[in-house]
Amino acid sequence: MTYQFDWTPIWEARGLIAEGLLVTVAVSAVSLAFSVVIGFIVGGAASAGSRTMRGLALLFTETMRNIPLLIHMYIWYMAFAFLRLPAFSCAVLGLSLYSGAYVAEVVRTGIGAVGRGQIQAALASGLTRLQAMRLIIYPQALRIIAPSLASLFSQLIKDSSLASVIAVAELTYQAGAIDGQTFRTFEVYITISLIYLVLVTAASQLVLLIPGSRSEAAAGRFADA
Amino acid sequence: MPDVILKNLPFLLQGLWLTLTLSVWSIALGTALGLVVGTVRFVRLPVLNAAALVYVEFIRGTPLLVVLFITYFALPALFGYHTTAYRAAVLGFVLFIGAYLAEDFRSGLRAVRPTLIQAGLATGLTRWQVLRFIILPQAIRRVLPSLFNQYVRLIKFTSVASVIGVTELTGAGLLVNAREFQPVTILASIAVVYLVVCMLLSLAGRALYARFAVRT
Amino acid sequence: MTDEPTIVIRDLHKSYGTTQVLRGCSMNVARGEVVVVCGPSGSGKSTLIKCINGLEGFQSGSIRVEGVEVGGKSTNLPKLRARVGMVFQHFELYPHMSVLDNIALAQVHVLKRTRPAARERARELLKRVGLQEKADAMPADLSGGQQQRVAIARALALDPQAILFDEPTSALDPEMIHEVLQVMTELAAEGMTMVVVTHEMGFARRVAHRVVFMDAGEIVEDAPSEAFFSAPKTQRAVEFLSKILAH
Repeated sequence: MTYQFDWTPIWEARGLIAEGLLVTVAVSAVSLAFSVVIGFIVGGAASAGSRTMRGLALLFTETMRNIPLLIHMYIWYMAFAFLRLPAFSCAVLGLSLYSGAYVAEVVRTGIGAVGRGQIQAALASGLTRLQAMRLIIYPQALRIIAPSLASLFSQLIKDSSLASVIAVAELTYQAGAIDGQTFRTFEVYITISLIYLVLVTAASQLVLLIPGSRSEAAAGRFADA
Repeated sequence: MPDVILKNLPFLLQGLWLTLTLSVWSIALGTALGLVVGTVRFVRLPVLNAAALVYVEFIRGTPLLVVLFITYFALPALFGYHTTAYRAAVLGFVLFIGAYLAEDFRSGLRAVRPTLIQAGLATGLTRWQVLRFIILPQAIRRVLPSLFNQYVRLIKFTSVASVIGVTELTGAGLLVNAREFQPVTILASIAVVYLVVCMLLSLAGRALYARFAVRT
Repeated sequence: MTDEPTIVIRDLHKSYGTTQVLRGCSMNVARGEVVVVCGPSGSGKSTLIKCINGLEGFQSGSIRVEGVEVGGKSTNLPKLRARVGMVFQHFELYPHMSVLDNIALAQVHVLKRTRPAARERARELLKRVGLQEKADAMPADLSGGQQQRVAIARALALDPQAILFDEPTSALDPEMIHEVLQVMTELAAEGMTMVVVTHEMGFARRVAHRVVFMDAGEIVEDAPSEAFFSAPKTQRAVEFLSKILAH
């Protein structure tokens, strides 16, 4: 191996790395917020009594999940170019719809896992269906799905790297820029790999903030979504 | 079929073909790798287990795009060899899916009831025989749904190979678009193809699972 | 206030797909009456009482609760359910809330009481079922018998006109059955209208005014409890009683 290791240019480029990191976190956090909202709405619809609602929810999740994320982003960036959305928004839209479909699936199974007797007890005491969902079913479902949500959040952070392809200046994009300047290819890519590793681990721990989440959240570090 | 697609059909079909070959190679080699690594982790072979752990944790915490950059740019730079984008992509995908499959296999192996293993040992089988005849068959049947999930995921991920210049379906589509400027039609058509391929694979997986499901 | 019985069921038919679950059931429950519904499993008893508060639908027949048609198109089911409480076989306390909040919840969201008033009432009810010290405990910390008593307090919190019990002691260990039956007996003595699906024949004999015996979706006998136990009129009732009283 004739490769000369030199880590100093990486250290010198830490400003760019920090900027990229910030953008990665921003893209991921915003997309997470949207995905959770989308996921809860669609997941709730998928558990509804009406067959049309369930059908629509199924259509949404199957379509969004089976189209590659990269295509999602290209669609917003290129096919909808007339909207003149900034690259950041295209990335967020693509990520939110794609992840939202996964969250919906998780929410649907979570709702199903709350025992049938619970909703009967809630209804029997005179709560409306909406009240029962809000006060009794969703809180319990949230605890059940917390580990899966941790996995999805981790996956979201990794998926955000694709935003670099549509010129969002997040971590992977900056890595490419630094490589172009310094030619320290190996060092730069190993460095950002390790940064992603740290990010992903931290993200999966955040889910423990949800009161009552079981400690299996720690086990759900990496996504298999 | 839209005109722009018809006009460029041969090129796009070549792209689809590349997607499929890329997928098949990666799935086959990745499954083999995953099975070996997963078993190594389950059995906890002394030195190999640590290496396997590092491999699995590293890959699972790294985005696919970065893995591809490593196999296409970083490793060739490190070891001073030349590689084509296609080969780098296959290597990247194999390493990537191998790590996730390793974890799936490992949890499948661990899910086999200990009493079943004890029963096997009690009839005089060695530990390796028990692994081969009792544990592995059960584990593989149990993880079949997860495996197919990963396979479908891989097919979607092959689109990322376009970033390092592989002209699979996405890459081919982008090249056609650069010439024809019809992003809506082209992207929609590509999306539909992925949809169909992925759903077919999912259905195949479900059928296979139904046939071979573990009857507890 | 009419003289109509609190609960009136007329010729109720219900099927799940092709399976007939209820075949032409009719019965009344007067104010203050305690009616025990018994019968072999699969006879439709649980389904019947779940029809009374609209948790289960039915194909034909009618159920009127305090003059309101349960199956009526314009019937406000949540409002109806506030007047008829239900206690479930598996307690169904909300696991993510404290005991006190379990009892206060419906008061706040259905009866629109203020939270302090609801919690005050909850404490009273907990005292009544003998569990005042468990107000801040979580359901998982309680024994089965304690959970079921909390469930009864939860049903009482809305000041219902009647309470339906779906096999309230079937999921309890034997030593805890007594404490729950005790609470139910006191309720009956206070004049609560109760419909109880149960296998506890001792309770039926001592506390119930009437016994309704069901088999294969039909009401086979409907008699004052003493008459039912001493002189059952049908062969099926005789067989059932001999099996259940044998041990």
